Amino acid sequence: MDVTILKIAALFYLLAGVSFALYVFFQRDIVSKLSPLIVACGFAAHTLALGVHFFQTGYPNVTQFREALSLYSWVMVAGYLIVHFKYRLAVLGSIIAPLAFLMTLAAFAFGTGSEALPPELKTYWLLVHVTVAFLGNAAFALAFGVSLIYLLAERQLKHKKMTLLIKRFPSLETLDRLNYIFLVWGFPLMTLGIVSGSMWAGIHWGSYWSWDPRQITSGIAWLFYGAILHGRTTGLRGRKAAVLTSFGFCVVLAYFFLGDVVFPSRHGGRFD
Amino acid sequence: MQKEILIVGLNHRSAPIEVRESVAFEASYLREALARLRAYPAIQEGVILSTCNRVEVVAASADGPSASAEIKKFLDEQRARRNAGQLDDHVYAYQGADAVRHVFRVAASLDSMVVGEPQILGQLKDYYSAAQEAGTVGAILHRLFHRAFSVAKRVRTETGIASRAVSVSSVAVDLARRIFDRFDDKTVMLIGAGKMGGLMARHLQSNGARSLMVTNRTFERAVELAGSIHGSPILFEDFPRYLKIADLVIGCTGAPEVLVDAGAVGAILKERKHKPMFFIDIGDRRNFDAEINKLDNAYLYNIDDLQAVANENLQERSNEAEKAEKIVVEEVANFNRWIHSLEQAPTITALRQRFEEIRRNELGKSLGGGLKDLSDRQREALEVMTTAMINKLLHGPISHLKKNAEKEDDESALYSAALKKLFDIEEK
Repeated sequence: MDVTILKIAALFYLLAGVSFALYVFFQRDIVSKLSPLIVACGFAAHTLALGVHFFQTGYPNVTQFREALSLYSWVMVAGYLIVHFKYRLAVLGSIIAPLAFLMTLAAFAFGTGSEALPPELKTYWLLVHVTVAFLGNAAFALAFGVSLIYLLAERQLKHKKMTLLIKRFPSLETLDRLNYIFLVWGFPLMTLGIVSGSMWAGIHWGSYWSWDPRQITSGIAWLFYGAILHGRTTGLRGRKAAVLTSFGFCVVLAYFFLGDVVFPSRHGGRFD
Repeated sequence: MQKEILIVGLNHRSAPIEVRESVAFEASYLREALARLRAYPAIQEGVILSTCNRVEVVAASADGPSASAEIKKFLDEQRARRNAGQLDDHVYAYQGADAVRHVFRVAASLDSMVVGEPQILGQLKDYYSAAQEAGTVGAILHRLFHRAFSVAKRVRTETGIASRAVSVSSVAVDLARRIFDRFDDKTVMLIGAGKMGGLMARHLQSNGARSLMVTNRTFERAVELAGSIHGSPILFEDFPRYLKIADLVIGCTGAPEVLVDAGAVGAILKERKHKPMFFIDIGDRRNFDAEINKLDNAYLYNIDDLQAVANENLQERSNEAEKAEKIVVEEVANFNRWIHSLEQAPTITALRQRFEEIRRNELGKSLGGGLKDLSDRQREALEVMTTAMINKLLHGPISHLKKNAEKEDDESALYSAALKKLFDIEEK
């Protein structure tokens, strides 16, 4: 049931991706208002799928990789929708919608990894940990999106070769500011995610830090983003900031997709 | 007889400005002029359009050639009011589909001096409402103008015809907009008090820039220009010190030497915590070091770069104009279909009525005679059957008539004439 609804959501994201492409690359203005609505439809279906799953199992959908992927793209899309209705940043959708589609698609590609969640793990810590960690990652995904747009726009301006594409972009100033805002939101959320996860681990397994691969990579990413944030206060901006932010997200993404396959861990649904 | 659309007039291509001015209709006289136009016997509907680039009369008439001659006379009279001579060779006249096409092209700003300029549509709307108020607009011109407005809208949204800057200073502002979100919190520095720089500064001001510094080797001229654009003059020797607070730097001194080099800008950027700077070099000589563009968060465009972008945009506009022409062709075809369907409509109605009449008569006779014992249900079935028969029989001829309405040739007239004759139809 929830899988079928999730498929519908994925279909909407695909549709939105196509519609955004029409808008950004072919200057079809008609779809500029439509595309975010399609994303919103996909988001509604996605929410329903997650809700159904929650009701059936009684715990948030994070213990399997596919579930985590699906929840992650859900939070990311939520973030995008909020940003869109505040900043009218339709172009960002052209990156977020295909990303959400690919993630939900990938969620189907990965089979079920593990059994049900052991009852002793069903605590509020799980909810807190997962929520803030995913919110943080979603903020970084959005920062990544605006960074890519920034780099593309900056390149065209520097090389004095403007395509019609650049007309769709907000100014470099706006893009840079958004990048900063997402970072400012993402970093504390990530910090909270790491702290709450470690508390949870401390309570259930007796050690706060167990050199779990996820802990290691998020530790690295945390230091990295922290360094960018520090740089921000001392004049790091523009292209360099965009490059670093994109790189940071690649670290997050690489682990997200490869980590559980290469290094099975608690985050991959192995709780023994 | 079917009404036809025609347009007679002159524009920036067919007539020089003096001639256009001599026939222009002043706003105060427009109402009277429309009444006079309507008084001509061959003209049933009319709209007058009079801007600095065109004076045109759009009309609907059952007698195209006479109406065309009458409008020419009407324009001559208008000219005679100002004691000028005949118009003759400056006037063009279009009829039918060509007239429709012309009106659509005017509305879509394809016939403008600067293709894509946005004013013409508003003017067209104003003159249309004036004619409407004067009561000289009927069903045909009503439909024509409303189609023209929506063609203009389609062209605007589906092509990039009006969306690109084509002058150097508007290109510069356009580029600045890609770098900066807003100008009201930015500072502009103008190095050199030339005319071009002043123009650019005003352009930036009209886009929101508030803080402006002007420097010039001759300080008096800096003071003078600063006074006229509400900027602050600074001494030429001092400008490098102020550079760090400038977000947009415009150079137009005509001095042969480089006034700002990349090394200095690098240091300034560091001091500014790398807040972006946009250098615009619009003098004949380069005042800014070309290496500046290689620095992060600094952008440099010189006059040639800006001109190149402007030319590209102009090229783009004409590409877009081609797209727009295609839209116009499509819409003209749609409109013609409508016009011709108006012609066919009476024939179609009459044909249907004729058949229905026969059906009723014959049915009445039979039901009153040999079939009078039929039950209600059987009568109903008979009714349904005969109606279906008539519809099936008429389907072919009517769809042929409708299809022919799309073409404007003798064949379609032949068809409807044949139908009328064969079935003894009188149009009402």
